[in-house]
Amino acid sequence: MPAQANANVVALQLEKVRDKVPLLYERDDILLTMIQQRGDVEKVSSRNMRLPLQVNPGGKAGSYNADGGDLGRGSGTSYDVAQVSPIFFRFAIEITKLVEYATNGRERAVENAAKREVANGMRQFRSFLDKLMQTAGNGVLGTISSFASTTWTMATPPGAALVYVGQTVQVYDSTLTTNRGTANVVAADPISSTQTITVDANPGGLTAGDVIVHDGLSGAQPVSLFGIKYHQNNATTGTWLNLNRATYPVQLATPRVNAGNAALTPANVRLAINKVRKALGINHLSKLIAYMAVEQEHAWENLGITVSQIIKEGGGSSGNDLDLLFTGRKTMSGVPIKSSVNADQTRVDFLDLSHWGRAVLKDIDFYEVNGNTVFPIYGASGGLAASYIFYFDTAFQVWDDSPRSGAFIDSLARPSGY
Amino acid sequence: MKSAPRNRGGASNRAPTPASRILVVRESHETPESVAQSLALAGGWNRFGEPNYRAVWGWNRLAWIGGKFEDRDEQGNLLRERFELRLEPKYPAVNRWHIERWLPPETYGSPRQWRAQTHEMAGGQNVPALGPYPSRGEYEHCFTLETPGGNFLQLTPMIAQHIARAIERSRSFPGAAKRRALYEHLGREERAYEDWAYGLLDDAAPAFHKQPFVTVA
Repeated sequence: MPAQANANVVALQLEKVRDKVPLLYERDDILLTMIQQRGDVEKVSSRNMRLPLQVNPGGKAGSYNADGGDLGRGSGTSYDVAQVSPIFFRFAIEITKLVEYATNGRERAVENAAKREVANGMRQFRSFLDKLMQTAGNGVLGTISSFASTTWTMATPPGAALVYVGQTVQVYDSTLTTNRGTANVVAADPISSTQTITVDANPGGLTAGDVIVHDGLSGAQPVSLFGIKYHQNNATTGTWLNLNRATYPVQLATPRVNAGNAALTPANVRLAINKVRKALGINHLSKLIAYMAVEQEHAWENLGITVSQIIKEGGGSSGNDLDLLFTGRKTMSGVPIKSSVNADQTRVDFLDLSHWGRAVLKDIDFYEVNGNTVFPIYGASGGLAASYIFYFDTAFQVWDDSPRSGAFIDSLARPSGY
Repeated sequence: MKSAPRNRGGASNRAPTPASRILVVRESHETPESVAQSLALAGGWNRFGEPNYRAVWGWNRLAWIGGKFEDRDEQGNLLRERFELRLEPKYPAVNRWHIERWLPPETYGSPRQWRAQTHEMAGGQNVPALGPYPSRGEYEHCFTLETPGGNFLQLTPMIAQHIARAIERSRSFPGAAKRRALYEHLGREERAYEDWAYGLLDDAAPAFHKQPFVTVA
């Protein structure tokens, strides 16, 4: 009988927590997981999922002459089909042999190490996918406005908000045609006004204006998760879920308010909300949420018409007395606010998440080969390396069957101090 | 088929028979005088002698909305398109009390800026999407009164006072403190997730691997 290896013990611990992985993943606290899975369409094969859309109404209305007049011909409703195909995402976690040595190989200690890595890894994976949800569907996590040695100053938005330390990123030219190579992020500062990233080494040919995309993409014009800026977009050219935007310039365009680099005002908010109401019916707003970066939540607080977080947390002299009154959510002209550190710092999106969904090909789980979920690492020599690796993987894509049900304000100024 | 709408009393607003043609389409309420006074005392008066805070019932609070309207039936089918200026409920929650705060006209920029920002071309016409410039300022939404579960909550003078005072206290905090509080709040959410996740995983692999405790005599 072969001796028990540490990988076996780690695998055993992973199996113990396996049924908890979906719970850790589907936690309803970030935008990605707020998007409901809609029962009738959530499970898809590797072929495209088809979303039939009613793009134009049918029927011919008008008056007629009842004294023998011609009533004319009719017409029918026009439909078209949007399509989505899932993208595979993975998150790799390595545990080094040092864990075993540091814990003397005791099973309980290995269990704790495995649990810790599962919890941390899942948090990071969800965070990564949530960052992709902020993008325009091409995997672009930022634009390098300038660089000095291996420190890159990132253009805001999104600045350095969409990367994390330790992440491998790829650099493309600004037209997303030439892949210049990869780099590993060793420091990122998404909070201060400098918005810099430091990497281990610059790819060859690095140029100001280049963009960074996540690892795993390849070729020109890569396709990644269809995020907010893909669906909430008022462009009239390009494609949207395989439909030509030029064919349906009104139906596929999300109402936009251009703030012109000025600070957020109540007028901006009312304009955006009213655009949705005018398009969908005056009282069809019950499901909207106002999604924004912390910066814009702060800008809204600066208008002095809301109860700030300080009071809500009980920081005021009698803040606790008020807690029972609060639903826990601030609102923007009556629309609940959801803020995120990942959201575009110059934008407010009004989302009707009842129109959003996920086409899921593979639910989140450990990556498995013949029942194995933990794999040894091999060194450059071909011998074993002192590490083990396991993966989370999932395959899905995000869709929105009614781009006109939302609205967005963009080109907002950031409040001072950011 | 969509069920007939119901009023707050629970009675169905079914299609009226010839004998009874009363149809409740909107419920209006005036703000109780005691609430109005409480809010005025808590928040003071503006330069026009009007209270800084007021409470309004959703259906009663109307605002100008201009542009191209697409009127639809209950199934969402387009019935007609019209270019006009309408007075419509300002807030989506029409069956709730709302607390509003007065903002001075300068909040909205100059009349020229207002025109540039809010006028829209629709059907060959230049339509003021938010109506005329608010030369006397405007009351903006602060707070919708409802229970933590999102249900109706009756407006009382004490509640109104509390909210007005909380907003006033919020206004006195410096921007840096507000910013720090927002990030701290997000940090607390992160830590709460961590605690929850570890607890969840501990449940999956409990202490002593579910072996029963054995009493040693």
